[in-house]
Amino acid sequence: MATFATVELVKYLCTCEKKFPICRLYLCKHCLKLRCIDCVQHEVDTPYCPNCLEIMPAQEAKLKKNRCSNCFDCPVCGHTLMTRASGHISPNPEDPNKSVTKKTYYLACGFCRWNTRDINMPDQTVATGNWPMLENPHVKRINNLLENYKLMAQVEKADRERKKYVKRRSHLYLQDKFNLSPSVMKRKGLSSFSSLSLKEGDKTIEDLEPSVPVESFDPLPNDYYTQPAALEKTTRLVHRLSVPEFQPEDISKLHPINKHLIMKKSLRCRECEHNLSKSDFNPCSIKFKIQLTALHWVPEIRIMTPSTFTYNKETLVTLTMSNPSVFNTTVTLSQIENETDVDYCTAKVELPKKELVLASRDEPSMHVYEDSSQAHEFKDDPKLIVFRKGNKIGFVVKVTPVVPKGDVKICFLLKHEFRNTTVAALQSESKEPEIKWLEHKVYLCLGTI
Amino acid sequence: MPHFEGLLGDEPRIIILDIGSAYTKCGLAGDTGPRCIIPSEIKNPRNQQTSKIWDYSSTDELYEHLKELLYTLISRYLLVTPKDRRVVVIESLLCPTDFRDTLARVLFKHYEVASILFAPSHLLSLMTLGTKTGLVLDVGYQESFVVPVYEGIPILKGWRTIPLASKAIHSRIKSQLLEHGTVSTPEQKHQPVASMPDILTDELLEDIKVCCCFVTEYSRGQQIQEVTMRGGHANKLPPPPPDTDYQIDGGSVLNISGRIREHTCEVLFEQDNDETSIATLLIDAIVACPIDTRKDLASNILVTGGTSMMPGFYHRLQLELSHLLKKPCYAQQLGIKKFLFHKAPAKENYTAWLGGALLGALETLPSKSLSRDVYLQKGKLSDWCCIDSDFLLEDKNNKS
Repeated sequence: MATFATVELVKYLCTCEKKFPICRLYLCKHCLKLRCIDCVQHEVDTPYCPNCLEIMPAQEAKLKKNRCSNCFDCPVCGHTLMTRASGHISPNPEDPNKSVTKKTYYLACGFCRWNTRDINMPDQTVATGNWPMLENPHVKRINNLLENYKLMAQVEKADRERKKYVKRRSHLYLQDKFNLSPSVMKRKGLSSFSSLSLKEGDKTIEDLEPSVPVESFDPLPNDYYTQPAALEKTTRLVHRLSVPEFQPEDISKLHPINKHLIMKKSLRCRECEHNLSKSDFNPCSIKFKIQLTALHWVPEIRIMTPSTFTYNKETLVTLTMSNPSVFNTTVTLSQIENETDVDYCTAKVELPKKELVLASRDEPSMHVYEDSSQAHEFKDDPKLIVFRKGNKIGFVVKVTPVVPKGDVKICFLLKHEFRNTTVAALQSESKEPEIKWLEHKVYLCLGTI
Repeated sequence: MPHFEGLLGDEPRIIILDIGSAYTKCGLAGDTGPRCIIPSEIKNPRNQQTSKIWDYSSTDELYEHLKELLYTLISRYLLVTPKDRRVVVIESLLCPTDFRDTLARVLFKHYEVASILFAPSHLLSLMTLGTKTGLVLDVGYQESFVVPVYEGIPILKGWRTIPLASKAIHSRIKSQLLEHGTVSTPEQKHQPVASMPDILTDELLEDIKVCCCFVTEYSRGQQIQEVTMRGGHANKLPPPPPDTDYQIDGGSVLNISGRIREHTCEVLFEQDNDETSIATLLIDAIVACPIDTRKDLASNILVTGGTSMMPGFYHRLQLELSHLLKKPCYAQQLGIKKFLFHKAPAKENYTAWLGGALLGALETLPSKSLSRDVYLQKGKLSDWCCIDSDFLLEDKNNKS
């Protein structure tokens, strides 16, 4: 299904020389330039769980490895697991005649029907349940290694500080051993890897037990040669890679996976470091605190109807332009001097010579279905301006293709008034907001011959 | 909020990145495992085609692809702000210079990281063991690569590589299926696979390899090679394991014969006309090293790489090595009697990543990394194989 966001016939030029439709661009109010998704810095705002919509502060997210503690994913299909209750009738310990219904909870997937009973995980008595988590068996060894390396790194750092002030006589020893010149020893990585040995340092370094090698391995069990592969019980590669530390081969060893958090991003202009887009703190809200999308400031040009083109014949093409500002805006269209993108000059275009005035965007009156024509207010030339409705006008350009076959593409320069309507500017009621003229290059693909 | 992280005195954790030919492992330093292992591929949103990162035709294309891949990693899996963060990139010694340069350009110019350290994967794998000497074999997707490391320094004349790895296994499965395989669709039973070759996608072949195939044991392997390579009589083949039915989308069933299950991994151990296989790779590497180092290297073998996780791999490799020792050409040259293997505290497909995570957590990292200022000044990376590096020029100046 094609939505308006995927139709890319009218493109504006961003400061990085790439063309994007206007719905993909941002306008930095301070630099007064268009920015695309590559010209902005992305910053993490708030991680939150996509299922329970709970905001996790950054510190907690770090500790929990960006996983929600309450929500789980099915390890087989990836859908969210639901907590289901099952009644359990058991005799009351105090009174043998009466029986008590105890509720126990288990996790189940609504899509593939996997549940925690398949892996023989005991049901929990609490709905929020402290579901047992798998522990990587190597954690202890890795932490031991890490501590030892940290101690060695400290020793090395202290050595390096010392060596700055002491004459480097020890390099001769290394030179004899490896036949290398002193300057090579300075190379990063070489002296450090070879000097990761235990010296009589200030701190006592624990014994780093190196790993013990083995000589022989068990051969494959005979089942491989006699039994067909039980494909229903083996995990696929996708399942194994979703839990990198465990990678089980048997489906019965798959554990529910904590749900991964997603984050809200804020965008920042690279040059002036101001925020271009900042969403609301609450994950439930879709509003933005700061939203400087180009659609709100730059007039949008759209192609009204498709037209047929013939080589070297002038065709009238109707384009619409809508004004996003709350003030009346004047717009001029002009040719681009020295256009470098030849791809977009396959047709000559005759643009309106006069300035076009667009009415302000008035939200309430847009929804009133009155057929009032405003042509008399603005004294429109009927040959140039086809219609005028609210903040939109339809105007005519004459296009003459210069290529016999191919896409008909035109480009022009759009100059419009820009009024910086920030809160501070509006508060100073004494003067009108300053008018600045912005110009943008617009590229259109009108059709094919 | 991003700017509050620093105030609380917590150093932002360092990003550890390993972009392999088939899979990318990514995570933060100090963790015991990567946050994600995802295929090194980009999906084009327009036409839903996936393109592999390492199949690039120009550095511009690679730049765009790396930008996309890093964007996915950073915003979906790591959830960090890349600006002013340190990065450790784990790479193979054979990584092409233009790949490193493009990656550095993407990270420094687009994501504005604070510093990058390019670390060799074989050295890092040894860090996970706590030893400094070892013969590290990386059986990945494109190739199997062995580097002997002695006292923390790679013995460069001893490196050996051979293009026998996952890619070879996949193409062997494909050719065998096209030759003998059959598909049963709801309409017709037992159609030959050659009539619909499109079903054999890369993902399907990889899945078949992971679920159905295994590395058979030495004696059976020898019998199989006798028939397939040296033209022995088909009756000499050991009885194969039973067939398996593999479900494909659309209700079709691919019949995978037991022969395919057992014979495909032989491609790793068949010694073709050059008489090279993964096992000879290891022995050749040892032979190329100085005599004093050989015993130490042979008793400290570490195998990494996803392909080595196939069932039966270690057992077969160990038997192959011990049988190769009996051959006259090696028996005279080597004085070693046995091979000892290490087991890293990680699954083989992320052992190098774990080494990077250990390195990234150390405080000596900043002194070894290339910082953004220096990179922007110099404009390029220094590589171990380039002779235009500063310290060598300095050396020349010192001598003259």
